Amino acid sequence: MSKSEWKKLELRIDPDTKEKLFFSDHEWDTIEAAAARVIPTDRDPGAREARVIVFIDRYLSGINYLYATADGSGFLRLEGEEARAARARNNDFKRMYREGVLALDALAVQRGEKDFASADEATQDLVFVEISGAPKPSHVRLDEHAVFYSRLQGNTDTGKSFFETLCLHVRQGFYSDPVYGGNKDQMAWKVIGFPGPKSLKDTMDGSYTTEPYFAETWDWSELLLDYDPSAICIYPTCTCPSKTTKEGNQCQISKRS
Amino acid sequence: MTKKLDSVDVIIVGLGAGGGPAAKVLSEAGYSVVGFDKGPWLRNSEHYSGDELKFQNRSYLWPDVDLMPRTVRTDENSESRIFNFSPVPSAVGGGTIHMAGWTPRPRPCDFIMHSLHGDIEGASLVDWPYRYEHLEPYLTKVEWSYGVSGLDGAEVGAGFRSKRYPSGPLGPTKFGEKFYEGCRNLGINAHPLPMSHLTERNELGRKAVNRTSFWNQYGDPTETRSSVATTYIPDALATGNFEVRADSFVKEVTVDRNGKATGVIYIAPDGSEHEQKAQVVILALGAIESSRLMLMSKSPRFPDGISNDSGLVGRNATFHEYLFAVGLFDREVSPALNGFTGNYQSGGSMHFYETDYDRGHIGGGIIATTQIGQPINPILPGKPIWGDAAKDADRDYFLHSMKIGMILQDLPQESNRVDLDPIVKDRWGMPVARITNKPHKNDTAMSKWQINKNVEILEAAGAVRTMPVYLGEEFTGNSCHQHGTVRMGTDSTKSVLNEWAQSHSVPNLFVLDGSGFSTALGVNPTLTIMAHSWRAAEYIANTHLKGRSERLALDPVSLSN
Repeated sequence: MSKSEWKKLELRIDPDTKEKLFFSDHEWDTIEAAAARVIPTDRDPGAREARVIVFIDRYLSGINYLYATADGSGFLRLEGEEARAARARNNDFKRMYREGVLALDALAVQRGEKDFASADEATQDLVFVEISGAPKPSHVRLDEHAVFYSRLQGNTDTGKSFFETLCLHVRQGFYSDPVYGGNKDQMAWKVIGFPGPKSLKDTMDGSYTTEPYFAETWDWSELLLDYDPSAICIYPTCTCPSKTTKEGNQCQISKRS
Repeated sequence: MTKKLDSVDVIIVGLGAGGGPAAKVLSEAGYSVVGFDKGPWLRNSEHYSGDELKFQNRSYLWPDVDLMPRTVRTDENSESRIFNFSPVPSAVGGGTIHMAGWTPRPRPCDFIMHSLHGDIEGASLVDWPYRYEHLEPYLTKVEWSYGVSGLDGAEVGAGFRSKRYPSGPLGPTKFGEKFYEGCRNLGINAHPLPMSHLTERNELGRKAVNRTSFWNQYGDPTETRSSVATTYIPDALATGNFEVRADSFVKEVTVDRNGKATGVIYIAPDGSEHEQKAQVVILALGAIESSRLMLMSKSPRFPDGISNDSGLVGRNATFHEYLFAVGLFDREVSPALNGFTGNYQSGGSMHFYETDYDRGHIGGGIIATTQIGQPINPILPGKPIWGDAAKDADRDYFLHSMKIGMILQDLPQESNRVDLDPIVKDRWGMPVARITNKPHKNDTAMSKWQINKNVEILEAAGAVRTMPVYLGEEFTGNSCHQHGTVRMGTDSTKSVLNEWAQSHSVPNLFVLDGSGFSTALGVNPTLTIMAHSWRAAEYIANTHLKGRSERLALDPVSLSN
């Protein structure tokens, strides 16, 4: 069946749900605690309040919550080869998370804890440092400098370690449209000041706009250098490759030397 | 068992920027046309909305990474690995569904890079077999039918125009204002870039562009981003001469004993195989997939793939690279820049496009200030991935950062190529495209120079910290642009297509996407692809299918001022 004909599943995610579709009770508690270290609670809500655990549980439960319908009233029912491929990836993620929980617990136990979820935050952060193989990330400061180089990095969630995948999923669960189970009541958008749409449907029918956040007024003559509304060369006889010329004479409109 | 179907006049494979104009021109000329696309025919108002997770992270539009993979390697001796290089939406409309919509014109210099610069060591610079003035009428036709907005008289040094823009541009975002301020301070000519959308009071009587800011890489539910799916495909359908076969994978272009193309073999949605015959076959799958299909189309006459007498099919591939510098502002003193707003680009410049040897490289590319992004994926190089540092990075910089990007014009090199991976197969069991690709030293030098210039502009605009991202050891295909793999030229031993994008050795085979680009241009290719396709389609309609052939007489290049 073509992607264009995928039907709608009448599914909704309640961020306050107690129902677990994938995680065991222990796995739920562990990943909820881990998510709270990825995006902690401070003066602003973090992953715990935003119900990221629900987002991740639903995502791992199968392929029914992969794509919301465009208007957000349900989810798309994948078919055919796309469903097969998505299910295979989903199975890999299920296994990755199950093993990831065991790994977090093992590292906590090594530190004398009963498990990861019951350890204090400082210990949980130490476990993160160990499992990630890197120090706890430091702040992006205005008084530092670094250069970067482009590299092959996809935007999908495959091909990464458990820890990198967890951090990515927590971020996605925190900031995605609430239809996916996280970002409860748009609280994450409020943390960063993103004026998001009330619903996905609003982005389709013209009721959502970001126009108030553009410049209010403007004058191109003030904003731009060398702007001359009349200066359009319309001479097809121009043969000079680098500058426009006007019938052999130096072009009046070419203002650069 | 392959089922054979009645012959049509024209087959078009691939219904994106190249296929759309060809479908329109040929259907309107009265020919029977069948258009194939391996992707679905999605419906804007039903399938697209501002869902960042779906469109940016879960790649609803792009080819499934496991069903339609690609592989990449840096040279003949390296291991290849699976990677989604240069992804383009797999759906009717192709790249024009997800593109940010930059539709700047090329410049006259783009068509004569060899005449201007001679041989460059390690590169395969050539002139195009046609010039800006041959394309110009079609650039204008596309702007006035597809729908392009721009600011007349704002771009110093632009090539001539036979008509003004049919629409004025969007007003600037707040970060756009900062960009213009930085450029003014440095004496740089900057302006809103030509974009494939229209604003209020446009001359085409169409709806003004939406301002949801869910734009680049999203499909547009309002149909106000111009797309071939909402313009040229409907135009073609309205004639009654055009049929779309979506979800249909073309696996081979067939030839007769004499090497004339006879049609295509394709896999229908139900998995059955069919043969469709035609007088003319047009390939417009995009430079990667068009060259791949040609390489897969082997026959006794063409053991290395259809039309591959020169051995050049797949070679001289160019991909541009989107690089950028980010500027961070101090939220204690700076007003919000609202980097999440905009229809991606809010001001750009062609100031550094033409060669200045003092820079240490030839050629140049377009630059523009572009959206930082929406909440899940805002661009911040080296962003912390967990902890309070991660949360603070969002709180401090989501509204107080901006970026200035560039399109890197990469030089063609014969060793940069697309061929068939010897091991990896797609969902239909066919060998996937393997991209072999590494930068030329001119590419690296251009990247360094231009990104440093972008840093200067950010500083002149008040950025407290700047974060340059230079070209690394390899191209990433992140611009989604692709060209050069079936290059045009006048010499059939050094090119695959002639000035009409017609195969030198298979006269009824045309390749009407960016594959034919003899050099890469330093601007986004889509406008040029559409004009290039329209021009070639007129040749097919008025000359080739009438049993005639014409050569384009090229005057020698005159470089005098």
